[in-house]
Amino acid sequence: MSLPTLALPGQLLGAFSRYEPGPGTHLHESNVYASLPGRPTASTSSHNPSSKSSKPSPKQTLTVTRLPSMSATADPGPVSERISNTNALPRVGDVVLGRVTRCMTRQVNIGILIVLGASGDNEEGMVCANEIQGVVRREDVRATEKEKVVIGEGFRVGDLVRAVVISLGDQSNYYLTTAKNELGVIMAKSEYRNTMYPISWKEFKDPVTGETETRKVAKPL
Amino acid sequence: MADRRRINPPSGPTITPIFLASPSDPPTQPPHRTRPPHEIRKIFLKTGLTPSASGSAYLELEPSSSPKPTTCVDRSTSALKLTCTVHGPRPLPRSVPFSPHLLLTAHVKFAPFASKHRRGYVRDTSERDLSVHVETALRGLLISERWPKSGVDVVITILEAEDDGPAFTEGGSGGAGDGAGGLSGWGMMSVLSGCMTVASAAIADAGIDCSDLVSGGVAAVVRQPSFPHTQTGASKASPKEIVLDPCPSEHADILAVCVVGYLRSRDQITEIWTRGDMEGLPGEEGSEQSNFEVLLDQAVEAAVSSRLVLDAALKEATEYKLQKMAPALPSSGEKVKGSD
Repeated sequence: MSLPTLALPGQLLGAFSRYEPGPGTHLHESNVYASLPGRPTASTSSHNPSSKSSKPSPKQTLTVTRLPSMSATADPGPVSERISNTNALPRVGDVVLGRVTRCMTRQVNIGILIVLGASGDNEEGMVCANEIQGVVRREDVRATEKEKVVIGEGFRVGDLVRAVVISLGDQSNYYLTTAKNELGVIMAKSEYRNTMYPISWKEFKDPVTGETETRKVAKPL
Repeated sequence: MADRRRINPPSGPTITPIFLASPSDPPTQPPHRTRPPHEIRKIFLKTGLTPSASGSAYLELEPSSSPKPTTCVDRSTSALKLTCTVHGPRPLPRSVPFSPHLLLTAHVKFAPFASKHRRGYVRDTSERDLSVHVETALRGLLISERWPKSGVDVVITILEAEDDGPAFTEGGSGGAGDGAGGLSGWGMMSVLSGCMTVASAAIADAGIDCSDLVSGGVAAVVRQPSFPHTQTGASKASPKEIVLDPCPSEHADILAVCVVGYLRSRDQITEIWTRGDMEGLPGEEGSEQSNFEVLLDQAVEAAVSSRLVLDAALKEATEYKLQKMAPALPSSGEKVKGSD
């Protein structure tokens, strides 16, 4: 049985014995059905970590890609393509980019702007239509010497931060962590509103005044 | 109900006066059903008409057939015009407790000018009732585990509602005893059916995961029309029949109506609403099916018919989107090929 060129929600795509349900599809009574309107595609699930790898029967994963709503397709520009009207939701393990909105003694509030996905690949980034609230608690700022972390020395309001989602969190915030070398502040401005560059794992330098400021610096990729 | 912030129009019905061209003209006849009992009205459905929403749809039913076009405003024709916008999924506001699922809220609102009785700007009881019905119909549809901590708002605006037919207008014009501003009669049922279909289309347009599409269907028990202008006593004896998608203004005597929200692929019903007296249906005495089941089956039939339109409209929209995406797609298409 070949795949239809176009599927609507509720349309039968294939038996579970042959296909694995991927994004945009769902499983019902051992059959894979579409759950979004779009073009179903089958791909070998080599990159899919959830399927038990190296099994003798390689099942193909069915996916239906989410299409932007009609209004977004009206003028497809380079940027508007990536802005989803329907929100890109961060999942546990995803790399996100966000802006620091508030610094407190026990935590930093971050507005999540872009969800990069588990790989952290910029190509797969989805721009959030509206900012999602996240928080980095003091113990999640760095991996070592957690007791000595001072929030004020790690973040300032307005910094751009790369972080990983560790939990869906409570009613308002996603819980994020920057406890890895490549996570932390990626862009920061100095007291004098100059864009700084990182000089060490904990310092940014202002190119104009020559002053340094402390941050939890992300290792440049 | 008192709405002091706006300048409200008169709360009563606003019907344009109709003047006869000459006294010899016969009075305008009420419309009557011209299509066969098992046929539903033609539906116009299109998705993606509201740019600011994440998904939207518009649905229109063809107006009831009037016997002859009149030059003045024809009070007897009524159509159904609905727009639906879907906002979200978006993060929940801070006040809402943690939810591992997608929270669905439906708002159904009649435009003030939607029916002969003007509506207020504040939702009244019948509108809130409709919202609850639409919400239950859609809740069984969404795969809500895929959107934790988010909410989606489905907003349906009724631009033109169906009138409730002669039986209603007689009672309604006599006194405002019907309360709540009019359309609490049979017209509500087909409005609900349209609401479910249009909301389903808008949700699919928004790209929210659903297990199926829901389409609305209406079936009614009516007395077969005795020929107009015969003595009314005869109509009591005229037999009952079941019609699909009744237009209230076309039937003088509606006895019972059943609305369903039906998932065709799953063969499931997410919403049932019945009203009226369904005693003594024709032709089914021998079978063990109850009258209710007979009516329900017919409503499902109507839903299956409207699903055809829903499918066609969504297919057209999806094809259009794929075409529009085509310049952007080749890169991702190559990627898929490469991984194969």
